[in-house]
Amino acid sequence: MASSIFKVGQACRLLFKSKATQAPNLWKIVTLSERQIQTSSKWMGVTQLLMPSLSPTMEEGNIIAWHKKEGDKINPGDVLCDIQTDKAVVSMDTEEEGILAKILIPDNAKEIKVGVLIGLVVDEGDDWQNVEIPADAPSSSSPEKTSSQSSSASTQPDSVSSTTTPQKSNFMGPSVKKLLEEYGVKAAEVPHTGPHGALVKSDVITYVESKKIPRVQFDVTAPSVDTASSISSQPVVSELPALDDEPYIDIPHTSMRKTIAKRLTESKASVPHSYASINCRVSSVNQLRKRLVEQGVKVSMNDFIIKAVGLALQRVPRLNSTWKDGSAHISQTVDISVAVATDNGLITPIVKHAASLEVDEISSTVKELAGRARLGKLQLHEFQGGSFSISNLGMFGIKEFTAVINPPQTAIMAVGTSRIIIGPDGSPTPEMTVTLSYDSRVVDEIDASEFLEMFASIIESPEMMVQKSLSQARGFF
Amino acid sequence: MLSVFARNLRTLGCRGIYQSYHINNYATSTEASFETQPYKLHKLDEGPSTNVTVTRDDALTYYRQMQMIRRMETVAGNLYKSKIIRGFCHLYSGQEAICVGMEASINKKDAVITAYRAHGWTYIRGVSLVGVLAELTGKQSGCAQGKGGSMHMYNENFYGGNGIVGAQVPLGAGIAFALKYQKTDNICITLYGDGAANQGQLFEAYNMAKLWNLPCIFVCENNGYAMGTSLDRSSASTQYFSRGDYVPGVQVDGMDVLAVKECTRFCKDFVLKNGPILIEASTYRYSGHSMSDPGTSYRTREEVQEVRERRDPISKFKERIISANLATPEEIKKIDVEVRKEVDEATEVAKTDRELPLEELYNKIYSNPEPDYQVRGCDPTIMAASH
Ligand SMILES: Cc1ncc(C[n+]2csc(CCOP(=O)(O)OP(=O)(O)O)c2C)c(N)n1
Ligand SMILES: [Mg+2]
Repeated sequence: MASSIFKVGQACRLLFKSKATQAPNLWKIVTLSERQIQTSSKWMGVTQLLMPSLSPTMEEGNIIAWHKKEGDKINPGDVLCDIQTDKAVVSMDTEEEGILAKILIPDNAKEIKVGVLIGLVVDEGDDWQNVEIPADAPSSSSPEKTSSQSSSASTQPDSVSSTTTPQKSNFMGPSVKKLLEEYGVKAAEVPHTGPHGALVKSDVITYVESKKIPRVQFDVTAPSVDTASSISSQPVVSELPALDDEPYIDIPHTSMRKTIAKRLTESKASVPHSYASINCRVSSVNQLRKRLVEQGVKVSMNDFIIKAVGLALQRVPRLNSTWKDGSAHISQTVDISVAVATDNGLITPIVKHAASLEVDEISSTVKELAGRARLGKLQLHEFQGGSFSISNLGMFGIKEFTAVINPPQTAIMAVGTSRIIIGPDGSPTPEMTVTLSYDSRVVDEIDASEFLEMFASIIESPEMMVQKSLSQARGFF
Repeated sequence: MLSVFARNLRTLGCRGIYQSYHINNYATSTEASFETQPYKLHKLDEGPSTNVTVTRDDALTYYRQMQMIRRMETVAGNLYKSKIIRGFCHLYSGQEAICVGMEASINKKDAVITAYRAHGWTYIRGVSLVGVLAELTGKQSGCAQGKGGSMHMYNENFYGGNGIVGAQVPLGAGIAFALKYQKTDNICITLYGDGAANQGQLFEAYNMAKLWNLPCIFVCENNGYAMGTSLDRSSASTQYFSRGDYVPGVQVDGMDVLAVKECTRFCKDFVLKNGPILIEASTYRYSGHSMSDPGTSYRTREEVQEVRERRDPISKFKERIISANLATPEEIKKIDVEVRKEVDEATEVAKTDRELPLEELYNKIYSNPEPDYQVRGCDPTIMAASH
């Protein structure tokens, strides 16, 4: 655009050069005013008004209404029109002085891109009525289009009025909320006048003053809560007036949640957690499982994992331990806690003697325990105790994760999903990542590595797990 | 053709093409004296003179300079609204008389340091229009090669644009210390806003400046507002010229270029003999704090319009010099047209100039770095040679 304007200016200069002998100063003046302007046939200086960006993110906007008419004098600081940006209605003011010669984009025009020519300003005294409109001005400059645009806009007045009388919004600042509480007033009662219909402090102040609402007296002494009874009793319900439109929901703290929270916090805060992971190839165990399922023995990957952990714990007993009263105790039996999700939170029923159970026995044990766990019918000894924990999120597609140790146990193994990788021979093969969290007061890096290596080698050679009755009975090996 | 001329001559009155025939009608006076508003003084027995004499040439220079800054800022605002200038941008419109008046009483060896509202000062300290505007558009002919933008413009003895509110004030005291230490006859003008006036570090700077009687003029450009906070809401005492306690002070009408000039002359003389002084220049900011502030939520449009009508530093000065016969309306109009042209030409350069090539990104961080000097990028893995 600038270049075309420049050409017009050049033409102008040439035109005047021939007059130069008659009026030398005149020539000078005209070349001087050869700025970023369009020169009309009357050689007027024209300033173009472009659609401004009035917010950092604005790409386009609506012209709500012009405050000036064509032919009006404008001064620096005057408001020319109101523009709806992507954020708010903002006034467009000008630093120019002159006459608004032409409005190219009328009131109620929508989605005008930043930089589009919306009007022309000429110097005072110039013939504003005959201002020449640049060739590349928006097409809405033709009179028919202009009137059709404004009439079409007037058929949908609500969209415009909605910008001036905004809906009530839920948005309010903390100080406003505090005021509402202090006067025991509900947000819905108070007229909202803030931006985008937000409730602002002055709204509340005006409201309580006009209604002469007194401040609510609050008891400022600390609440004396009986800690012993509060655990068993119902969750404490806030005495403050409930505000509608709260942007959050309180979840009552059940006693099970409280216990979980307390134990996890204690564990993470006081047990020095260390972590180690290993990748295991699981194609053999998958194949074995498939074959068993075909034979009517319904076992899951998880059952194999429990079995493999059991065997690995037998071989690396340091991981099969608890920490009590400042020292480690190696457990005599391998009892594996298995994390089960219930509606109330995680619970860990125990598969006792996991190392010596067959995979299908493990399977039925877990099914039975998990079923009762979900019904909340486990007995204390069925989920308390245990010498090691497994948490498996493989069925959710989790690649790998770390778990929090379940004290007084000293280790927990987090199991990820089995995913396809490119094997060493270049063909796709499933792999699973397990991550051990261990109490480094009891277990050191060597123990942890040994355990993981052992686990991996068992799970990768699953025949070790089904030597006895299963394999013999079904004649696999 | 000529008949069209004739019609224009009649309708245009004293403007436009008509004036060109009278351009040689120079005004008759070569010098005139003006009364300034009274100054307010703090711990001073005598203040600057309220009677200021100015020559015709100087008057026209000041007018042109103020108009140039106003036009430059108008264009900067428009470029910003066209998304050609991005990032920070704080306009000086309304405050032009301060930098123009002060520059008129110092020389190029005197130092100036100001805050982020720096375009006017950058121009008056010798950077060209292109140097300022291309810096704003991020192009290589910008005074910091487009690397600095609005708040980071510098020139010889102009220590720039500083983005941290108040931080330039201790720096200014330090510059004054250097000037004294090197036994020069120069001073440092250290500017800050009414908002910055409440920063603790200013008082530390006043203390050391007074302790060592440094040749520093602390200037509070009181434009009535900080980032939306009016001075009454921010300052326990709005008598900014008196807030240096043991540092003397003077309040001047910052909308009167001649008063500012005389006040600065007086203060330069004073600080070279007696150590620091404070100037509070009462002025007004027409635009919002920055381009993201429309400037209308904490003050009324009427207030802004009233200042434009009654106190505008440029139109008031224009009226004065015309009525004192130092210049004719035609001469003034000619300057206006020339200013527009110059600014428009510079704008064109600022828009079309090239950005600095990417290879220059890490250069010019230190002066004369060792050969193969490496600097770190935003990311610790990036190390780049810096020249
Ligand atoms: C230390 C610091 N605090 C806050 C800001 C944000 N800020 C930038 S400018 C400004 C207002 C300063 O007002 P004033 O000193 O009156 O200068 P003016 O903008 O009026 O020229 C504020 C609070 C900042 N840049 N630095
Ligand atoms: Mg201020």
